[in-house]
Amino acid sequence: MRVGRYPRLFQPLAIGPVTVPNRIIFSAHLTNYAEGGRPSKQHVAYYEARAAGGTGLIITEEHSVHPTDWPYEKMIHGFHPEVIEGYREITDAVHKHGTPIFAQINHNGGQASSMYTRLPVWGPSPVPDPLFREVPKALTQADIDEVVAGYALVARHCREGGFDGVELQCSHSSIVRGFLSGATNHRTDSYGESIENRARILVDIVAAVRGAIGPDMALGVRLCGDELLRDGITIDQAVATAKIVEATGQVDYINTSIGVATATLFMIEASMHIPPGYALFIPSAIRAAVDLPVVGVGRFKDPLQGERALEEGACDLVGVVRGQIADPDFAAKARAGHVDDIRLCLSCNQECVGRMGLNRWLGCIENPETGREAQVAGQPVGPPIRRQRVLVVGAGPAGLQTAIAAARTGHDVEICEARPHAGGQVRLAASVANRAEFGDMIRNQLTELSRLGVMINYDTSVDLDFIQSRNPEQVVIATGAVPVRPWFAAGGGGEAGVEGACGIADVIEVLDGSANPTGRVVVFDELGFHQATSVAELLADRGCDVEVITPGMVVGQDLGITLDMEGWRLRSAAKGIVATTDTLVNGVEGRTLQLMHHPTGATDTREVDWLVLAVHQAPADALYHECRAAGLEVDRVGDAVVPRRAHAAVIDGQRVGSGIGRTSKGRVTS
Amino acid sequence: MIDYPHQAVLLLTPLDIAGSTAKNRLVFGPHETNLADGRAISDAHVAYYRRRAEGGAGIVITETASVHPLDWPYERSPLASQCSPGWRATAEACHRAGALAIASLGHAGMQGTSAYSQRETWAPSRIPDTVTRELGKEMESHEIAEVLEGFVGAARTARAAGMDGVEINAGQFSLVRQFMSGLTNQRSDDWGLGEDGANRLAFPKAVIARVREAGGLVGLRLSCDELAPWAGLTPESAAGVAAELALLVDYLVVVRGSIYSADATRPDSHVPAGFNLDLVGQIRAAVNGATPVVAQGSIIDPGQAEWVLDDGRADLVEMTRAQIADPDLANKLAAGDSQRVRPCLLCNQRCRVRDSRNPIVSCVVNPTTGFELTEPEAAAEQSGSGRVVQIVGAGPAGLEAARIAASAGATVHVWEVAQQTCQLVRTWTEAAGREALGAIADWLTNECEILGVEVHLGHRVTSDQVESWRSAGDAVLLCTGGERRLPEYDVADGVRVYDAIEALDGTLDLGALPDGPIVIWDPIGGPIAISIATSIAHATGGRHPISLITQDQIAGTLLSLTGDLATASTRLAQLGVSIVKHREVRAVTNEGITVLESLTGTTEVLPAAVFIDAGHRVPNHELGLGDAGDAVAPRTIYEAILEGRRRVIELVGNIRHEVHP
Repeated sequence: MRVGRYPRLFQPLAIGPVTVPNRIIFSAHLTNYAEGGRPSKQHVAYYEARAAGGTGLIITEEHSVHPTDWPYEKMIHGFHPEVIEGYREITDAVHKHGTPIFAQINHNGGQASSMYTRLPVWGPSPVPDPLFREVPKALTQADIDEVVAGYALVARHCREGGFDGVELQCSHSSIVRGFLSGATNHRTDSYGESIENRARILVDIVAAVRGAIGPDMALGVRLCGDELLRDGITIDQAVATAKIVEATGQVDYINTSIGVATATLFMIEASMHIPPGYALFIPSAIRAAVDLPVVGVGRFKDPLQGERALEEGACDLVGVVRGQIADPDFAAKARAGHVDDIRLCLSCNQECVGRMGLNRWLGCIENPETGREAQVAGQPVGPPIRRQRVLVVGAGPAGLQTAIAAARTGHDVEICEARPHAGGQVRLAASVANRAEFGDMIRNQLTELSRLGVMINYDTSVDLDFIQSRNPEQVVIATGAVPVRPWFAAGGGGEAGVEGACGIADVIEVLDGSANPTGRVVVFDELGFHQATSVAELLADRGCDVEVITPGMVVGQDLGITLDMEGWRLRSAAKGIVATTDTLVNGVEGRTLQLMHHPTGATDTREVDWLVLAVHQAPADALYHECRAAGLEVDRVGDAVVPRRAHAAVIDGQRVGSGIGRTSKGRVTS
Repeated sequence: MIDYPHQAVLLLTPLDIAGSTAKNRLVFGPHETNLADGRAISDAHVAYYRRRAEGGAGIVITETASVHPLDWPYERSPLASQCSPGWRATAEACHRAGALAIASLGHAGMQGTSAYSQRETWAPSRIPDTVTRELGKEMESHEIAEVLEGFVGAARTARAAGMDGVEINAGQFSLVRQFMSGLTNQRSDDWGLGEDGANRLAFPKAVIARVREAGGLVGLRLSCDELAPWAGLTPESAAGVAAELALLVDYLVVVRGSIYSADATRPDSHVPAGFNLDLVGQIRAAVNGATPVVAQGSIIDPGQAEWVLDDGRADLVEMTRAQIADPDLANKLAAGDSQRVRPCLLCNQRCRVRDSRNPIVSCVVNPTTGFELTEPEAAAEQSGSGRVVQIVGAGPAGLEAARIAASAGATVHVWEVAQQTCQLVRTWTEAAGREALGAIADWLTNECEILGVEVHLGHRVTSDQVESWRSAGDAVLLCTGGERRLPEYDVADGVRVYDAIEALDGTLDLGALPDGPIVIWDPIGGPIAISIATSIAHATGGRHPISLITQDQIAGTLLSLTGDLATASTRLAQLGVSIVKHREVRAVTNEGITVLESLTGTTEVLPAAVFIDAGHRVPNHELGLGDAGDAVAPRTIYEAILEGRRRVIELVGNIRHEVHP
């Protein structure tokens, strides 16, 4: 059967005893949804939403096989028999939609902390992990036997729990990868040195797991194609390991990944700066060497990219994780040819990847229901609400989301926007090279609004008279925020071009073109995110001589959580951008910036042509207060409440928009 | 140096507080534990508080509970509306043990986070938090009313659950303080500071008045120095604030710290013990007897605590970390056993748990802390009777094992190759700011002596000896520590690489260093390399350039847990130590240290007259696989003590420690 636009993507495939209806995999990823080591109702609702949305196969997040493995708090302890009940709830829910589901089972080895176990971490050799930095206890033969038995035990739990298959994570964070890699395996016994020896534990685990699950379940092995580490696994070794895996005759497919979670995570969950398909060389090479189906991963966010990878023979299946975090109906929409309706992932990593490292539940910047599926599903159907006329002022992400949520609830919604276009500051953020995908947030919202039939009046400035003339039953102010000139820049400096004074501009003014810095530029950063770094890059690209100064200990602190830090460091080094930390701007006199290194109090100066400010903005909230004073039914969302990042705008909009006409809107009940 | 009293007298004197009686002057103060079950006070919490009450604390104050659901400053922060059952159980446990139980109530305001609530944080004014860089929403008047309502509702819940009263948090992380301070309150309405700060107390007074409606004790925890004199509360302005508010409350706890001094309230050992004692004395003088005053601030020495009362600086003493380390502090003082109090090291390594990973509160010297429901404190009584236990190694693992075994009636021998116990711990005390670690070495050694453990120093145990013990039926524990790891970089012939121990134990003669730069390689990012750099900077007085190489973007990344991260960087900067960031050592030659920037692939050679590798160690397996501590895998004192006690409890009790619930 060949379907629509993407014939290969929707071609079923047999993975050993299991046939998947299409080639789109919701492959394994952490969610931090586990509670007390057990799967939660949220797991059930989360996976079921993707099954209902047509994904070809779900592979759950990892389940630990042994009590020595507990690297992060909210991990599923697969070795505990009480997980089986939760497994059944997950698999029953997913199977209702005819979707197969595999469980990933794993031991993270030395890539772990003893914070939760209060036990030594286990690794092939006493080589500390680059992130956790604990010296592992080198496994004895008895320990190895325990680990292998743990895999078999958890595989049995998975069978009892109704899974269709099991995947062994031997790739980016695994004791098996630890054994496979020369970087972490310094053993001289029968588990070290030669590739056959290093793969011994893997072969033993495959045999034990196959023994536990029998012939009717699929078994997969996920391999790392390149650790990107000194003495680490390279593609040739990965291919050799794949051949060893195939030769066992017990394995049904091979999944792939790149990098090591505790050293090169930025390559595993690449942000929008890294082009899609960047890791396809791995499945390509493995697929050329083995006959098993091979999975390719790496920022597939559009069905066309997946189709092309299949067409080019790079892989047999494609992992689409973030694409389906953003839109659970990704596969169904692709299958139906409604491609424009897909809420495309931005690869921004802000609320998915960015929350994982902070031990928070997985969400999505543009899908406020991600991570909240169980709550949404569990909400009682309320009394019918009275249809209201809602006026939303402002077409940034907060206003658009308010309108989406209100229109979905059944209200009659109108949006007014002073500018000739939607998007607010997201539009500006996306105007910088390599940040364009961020703009898909607005495209996605506009697509949904047009489907809902909501009208946007552009070039329409709104004041209290206008609102009263429209006479809406509910007003929502989404007027965003405006730049503020900080105290230290208020007195000195001046307009660009004024003799003897440097130009001073907010990053917003640089991005919207109202300021055009040239020459020697200091970008002063109090925000620690993309605002300063992307404008610094933009100006360096335009030929400016750029220095970023921050009072923080690091330039762009929060780029670390979205995995953009490494790219920024590489690009800024190449562009000659200087980073100065722990430093305040204490004044501007003419072209001279007065600086202070706050840990020591040492002062310094810079002669500049321009000072560009990435500092906190102020809410544009005057209209909100006027409406309140006039006694209108009014609420506010997004930066008009207080300037924050884009996810907060979407969450506000969703909460306020869906709460219109209901009681106790906006209350958190926890 | 003040000569502190040796006997606890005043500390053990009861105090009447507004009609309730504290049986002594020792307070177990409120602190983050991550023990909550969701946002409720859990069974583990109750066990934790019960243990301190049974150990003799006069007043137990529970972890600060948020009074409003949108205030969710850390994931396991208690929410007052969910705390009723936990408070009830805590109150019962405390009352049975004779302690007062008080519920701390608070709202973190702009020092909270939107991460859990998925809502904006609330603030008096729109000032960014220095830690999260989040901007709080300027509260509207109906939101202020909601928070006041939250305070009284929470106080009623606590009272109905049997708590003796509540404590209002106006300390380092609090909305109440934010309303009082020019750093954070720039409002021009009725809740602003007013002209010359005349209206500064509007919000705290409103909170106190509402909380009074619930009855019971009302205490106030007040930051009396925001350490930001340009706009914050200073000791001088706080004296007036305290004097006025003291008239409205039943006791006052004096703390310090604010938004620009995140670790000022509970610093580690780099700040002297009792750092707040001048401040508390000034405030008590200003309060002038209107209400009892509690001293807080790294008070861990019972002698210092007694002196605080004797000198009239305070009426009660908060010794929170001291009772995290030894829950029996008060009982031991009452029994005249002050020398047997297990010492707090002010290391903050396990008890400071404000971290997104939600570590459970515990203690380096007492790993049963925080795990009262699962980790036994001792082996079963007399379970060691008739047993002979041979322990190789007199480090913390070996001595803790010896102590537990001897307490259970076993005959215990400890064999140590060095001439002193806890040699490595004592070496670390040579490092700047780490001097306090020595107290655990002394305590373990003293306990072993009291319990009749035979410690054989300067004795190298052979495999034959181990074999003969085993054949005699003795229990044997190998706690032989760690050893140097082979470098993971090339070292040219004839080039000396010093390790962290040699940098401190005199092998590297700091008085006779060769001219030129001193380079320290820190692949760990913990306290050791930084303290070595600091010690060398002190010893050499700026005669040598010192640099510290790290693969990270800052020095000391692991110090985020102890609260010393920013302060360590500041100390290094002030001493002129340069941080070579994003670099790994690849080779050490006579020309210098070759370092690699792994992302860009660039290498450079740093000149070095002395090179110190402060990296990881590996286990010493001379006599076979180790049983506990560094001999299993080199880590910290915490793991050594934990594993030492677990192994010996298994041995004498013949039980297997359950590794997982």
